[in-house]
Amino acid sequence: MTSIFKQISSFATVIFGVLLLTFLLIHLVPGDPVEVMLGESASTADRDMLRADLGLNQPVVTQFSRYLIKLAHGDFGQSIHTKTPIIEMLKTRYPATVKLALLSLLIGISIGIPLGIFAALKANHWQDIVVTLVSVRLSAMPAFWLGPMLMLIFAVWLGWLPVSGMESNTSIILPALTLGFGLSAILTRMTRTSLLEVLNDDYIRTARAKGLTEKTVILRHALRAALLPIITIVGLQMGSLLAGTVITETIFSWDGIGRLLVESIEKRDYPVTQACVLVVALSYVLVNFVTDVLYRMADPRVKFAG
Amino acid sequence: MKKFAITVLSFWLIAVMLGRLFGLNPNSIDLNAILSTPSAAYWLGADDLGRSILARLLRGVEVSFVVATVVTVVTMTIGVLVGLIAGFYGGKIDQFLMKITDIFLAFPGILLAIAFAAVLGPGLVNLTIALSMTGWVSYARLTRGQTLALRYRQHVLAAESLGATVPRLIFRHILPLLASILVVEATYSLASVMIAEASLSFLGLGIQAPNASWGAMLRDGVRYMLVAPHYVLIVGLSLMSLILAINLGGDYLRDKLDVRTEK
Repeated sequence: MTSIFKQISSFATVIFGVLLLTFLLIHLVPGDPVEVMLGESASTADRDMLRADLGLNQPVVTQFSRYLIKLAHGDFGQSIHTKTPIIEMLKTRYPATVKLALLSLLIGISIGIPLGIFAALKANHWQDIVVTLVSVRLSAMPAFWLGPMLMLIFAVWLGWLPVSGMESNTSIILPALTLGFGLSAILTRMTRTSLLEVLNDDYIRTARAKGLTEKTVILRHALRAALLPIITIVGLQMGSLLAGTVITETIFSWDGIGRLLVESIEKRDYPVTQACVLVVALSYVLVNFVTDVLYRMADPRVKFAG
Repeated sequence: MKKFAITVLSFWLIAVMLGRLFGLNPNSIDLNAILSTPSAAYWLGADDLGRSILARLLRGVEVSFVVATVVTVVTMTIGVLVGLIAGFYGGKIDQFLMKITDIFLAFPGILLAIAFAAVLGPGLVNLTIALSMTGWVSYARLTRGQTLALRYRQHVLAAESLGATVPRLIFRHILPLLASILVVEATYSLASVMIAEASLSFLGLGIQAPNASWGAMLRDGVRYMLVAPHYVLIVGLSLMSLILAINLGGDYLRDKLDVRTEK
């Protein structure tokens, strides 16, 4: 059990590091961040007010502890432009991103896993070679390529789906496909590899020798064991999906946290930028941690290495 | 596969050189040609300001390649040094350095590069800095793992007992054994840096107008997709050909150099 504590303490260090790095971001602004945010025409009084507001006139250590204390109370500060508390903005934007990420995950799984099983069953036949080739190459293509291409085909040429925005119920389909396709390509490869590894095991030979049908052998025996690494990949990819939403949301004008991040950068609204980076990174770390713990609990062969 | 990679890469290389040779100007504006489809005067059509898409593609790939090369060299130097030190000394130093890489890895994808680019401000130099600040981690991890394995090889121990200094041990006896694995990693990182550069430029955080960049062109293409779909299609297909070629080239090098990343 000591190793699980080790895992948690390592998790805590990383969280602390993420908080520190995000906090330091504003200090990387070349010159005076207050001037960059307000513009050169701002009055001295306005500047001093913002400086005091952000606590930039205090020693860095005090600033950091203040930042942590405020965060602990759910206070992310306020937007410089709209003066609204950032937590309110996050409350409307974050669920939109999670919704998009979950649908993408669903698309990725429902294409990737069946296709991976198919490729493994046809291993080294032409069907496998085609599937593997497409999935390897598709996973290398970035979202900002896939998004516009899907938009061109399905929204402009075929006219089946809305180009962008969030007005219609079908608006989510294209951004979700953009993220989902990339994920499905990775899952196809993982499922294929993982299943092929298991298919050489002794107990599969035993199952076949018992005279079970190929379908039962694959679905009941092999897939169950092969699923574990696949689940890990799904968990890890969930975090990357959150990051991938930055570009996808911008392409499709989907009002999630990723678009909020890009908008805040354009307006030089650094407190909002900081909050978005922090929330996405923390979600990523948390999802990874939970996946890791679940994986270790599910598979008794994996011991905590510490 | 290898042929495809070589063909595509040399196609772009020759095209860039020919473009330079014939003095194609990526910034000359022809108001009569705005968003025009491919023609004899503009082989790939013109963009929203009436500039030749072909000329801008060629200049864009040139800039992108230079940025990617600089970033790869910088990140590799920093990352390899960190990895060598962590792997060679082990213990507390190793733990500390690896904790730092853990923190950098806690930011998914290009999120950290976006954050750095956001606070540094847009532009070519800041883009290069932002990508360098985030890219060294994978090299550090890779080098550290390999160095841990090589540290107690017999030839290293022999050199050590003969009184070789630490820098000599690291640079003469360990680093050369890492060369092939680093070459392969550099090829892939060239592709991923080019993608990252294009992503940041797509978001408006990278190369700024009027300079040409594929990411920015793709964004403009999306903006004018309804009136001039050929724009986004041409940029998209060019990008696809290049990424595929570089990745296939990387795969080929990996097989050729017989690099085993797993020990």
